[in-house]
Amino acid sequence: MRRSTAAAVGTLTGAALILGVRLSVQPVAAPDAAPAAQEVVDEPVADETTEPAEPEDSSSSSAEDADAEDADAEDAGDDEAAADDTGLANGTYKGKAVQNPYGTVQVTIKVSGGKISAADATYPKSGYSATINPNAVKTLAQETLSKQSADVDAVSGATFTSQSYVTSLQAALDKAGA
Amino acid sequence: MRHVEQVMGTVVSIEIVDPLPDTVLREMIESTCAWLHEVDARFSTYRDDSEVSRLRAGAVRAEECSPDLRLVLERCADLWRTTDGYFDAYAGGALDPSGYVKGWSVEEASSRLAAAGSSRHYIGAGGDIRMRGTGPSGGRWRVGVRHPWEADKLAWVLALTDGAVATSGTYERGAHVWNPRTGEPATGLRSVTVVGPDLAVADAYATAALAMGEPGLAWLAGLTGEGYESAVVTEDGRAFTSAGLPVAVS
Repeated sequence: MRRSTAAAVGTLTGAALILGVRLSVQPVAAPDAAPAAQEVVDEPVADETTEPAEPEDSSSSSAEDADAEDADAEDAGDDEAAADDTGLANGTYKGKAVQNPYGTVQVTIKVSGGKISAADATYPKSGYSATINPNAVKTLAQETLSKQSADVDAVSGATFTSQSYVTSLQAALDKAGA
Repeated sequence: MRHVEQVMGTVVSIEIVDPLPDTVLREMIESTCAWLHEVDARFSTYRDDSEVSRLRAGAVRAEECSPDLRLVLERCADLWRTTDGYFDAYAGGALDPSGYVKGWSVEEASSRLAAAGSSRHYIGAGGDIRMRGTGPSGGRWRVGVRHPWEADKLAWVLALTDGAVATSGTYERGAHVWNPRTGEPATGLRSVTVVGPDLAVADAYATAALAMGEPGLAWLAGLTGEGYESAVVTEDGRAFTSAGLPVAVS
């Protein structure tokens, strides 16, 4: 694997890491507690690296910078040979799997024509993450939205402020019952 | 006896229908209000001297905080996990447990009323309601779910004895709920109502589903096993309910 390809995969590992960190940071943990996700990645990347689509983003050393500029220069060429010169060999690369409290997150990229053509992240297939997976079959039953004026004891609605309470149905009820 | 109290940046409605002497009912209402003001003083993010503000400022450490605050932090962390990160007390960067505190304080107020001898009451705080026993009619409490476009109409009428009803929506304060995955305001759902045993949990679930957007429909369906039913209206006006939603018969 060429170095810049490794860098690109490194970026994706970084993206997976960031995703993992975002998912695994414990709200009550003291700020100095290291997120668990960080421990499974050997090469932590800079925090700014959030876009998996740009392999240049991961370059931090000057040598790699030069490599990245090369890649930029070669981007204009779209034949197979030029593509190869960018250092991004065609193929599918998987980033490092990152553990978070819900399971494993892993980023995969596809390289074709020397460019990243697709980036995808896998999410856990079980537990809570699976329930928010669009493939989940179980869902709520659809019905017609009704519009009623019925006699009720209380009204539930999105949080009202002291100001908007005045115009709420709950306020009317409170007034009627006072 | 009924009472309306302005506290925690919203309005709290209290109704106790137990056949108890007025002096007892008045005391119950007074101690309920005192508790809610105590919670506000401790948890408000708008007061520099609140415990939450001092924790945010680094003036105190979590371990040094009151048992109530430590409990709230722990529950927020639990809910962050059970909602897959969609209920986030750190959504705005700094700690803001208000989304849990309101429901929890009302839940606690209702428990205290029950301990003091009230078996029939409801407390509604800014549209989130906890009730016990039977209502003023002697039957179940009838709770309307506000129509998400027309403030004076109801989309559903629910009937229940013991339980909580919480609604989160974008219609009242605009897009104030954020999707933590995208960093963008939550879109897709207009109103999410969750009915279940604990108001703080119901409220957190409603907020989390709103943050998820339409995938929240499937997520809510998975909560019925633990006793949380739901009613949802999407931004484009479609309505959805879980099978066990306690809709009033008449």
